[in-house]
Amino acid sequence: MQDLSLHLMDIIENSARAQCGLICITIGIDEVKNIMSFEVVDDGVGMDEETLYSAQNPFYTSKSERKKKIGLGIPLFKENAERCNGVFKMESTLNKGTRLYAEFEYNHIDRMPLGTINDTLLSSIIGHSELDFFIKVFHIFKDKQTKEFTLDTKEIKSELGDIPITWPDVIMYLKDTINEGIKNIELEEF
Amino acid sequence: MKTLADLKAIREKAQKEMKLRNANVRIKVIVGMGTSGIAAGAKEVMKTFLDEIATRSLTDVVVSQTGEKGLSSMEPVVDVVEEGKPRYCYGSMNVEKTKRVVAEHLVNGNPVKEFLISTEE
Repeated sequence: MQDLSLHLMDIIENSARAQCGLICITIGIDEVKNIMSFEVVDDGVGMDEETLYSAQNPFYTSKSERKKKIGLGIPLFKENAERCNGVFKMESTLNKGTRLYAEFEYNHIDRMPLGTINDTLLSSIIGHSELDFFIKVFHIFKDKQTKEFTLDTKEIKSELGDIPITWPDVIMYLKDTINEGIKNIELEEF
Repeated sequence: MKTLADLKAIREKAQKEMKLRNANVRIKVIVGMGTSGIAAGAKEVMKTFLDEIATRSLTDVVVSQTGEKGLSSMEPVVDVVEEGKPRYCYGSMNVEKTKRVVAEHLVNGNPVKEFLISTEE
């Protein structure tokens, strides 16, 4: 993975496969505490303790059809976070859902760039139009000033009524909304 | 700044368009978004599909994401599903190839044979 937006994409896909209805994503930069953090919470099938532990092992996959038992998504993300003096946490309750949290030291020399997080968010929303997303992106500056952007697809869908969220003009709207929102809170790469 | 009022305008315009055209989904495009797909560039492929659908206003095409299906060496993998037609599977996709698939297959109905890795009846 070349940047953090790709890791995030991968983690969101895990949630989408867990038969959830809602995915809450929080991305944040806190310059006061010097951290960049990612949180993905779903209300999917969840995992028991053993599966939760195994998921962090690269030689485990939940896919029974796989001959070679490899699943690198979570272990790679974990390794990247820990290499940057970060934190990696996964919590899960069977039939309730899963929460994944990864934290990076913001100015760590090995921290990967954030990447095009706007594309990750738009792709996930349209690519999983049957799911709801609640997205929050925040930036706390050195002087403690805070800027925030939120997007709730439930709200958008109810406004759209019988028009699907995958409609071309709606894709355009979401793209502009996300791009503007992220630009306004001055995430470094934008 | 975009607001929910803009959405209302979009909805009204879309409702009119739906009446004029047959607004049923004609083609489903499925982009493999497993770990290996993402590492191989599936995100850029997905973004290109979304951009093309939005700018060309392809109201009868829906693109979605799925996990991988064991074709890691051929990633990024894209399936094109249309009722009454075989399931076309494209492999080793990139931005340029995606633009050709949109123009030649989705719009004009001619699968791009050189990028196909399988065709299932």
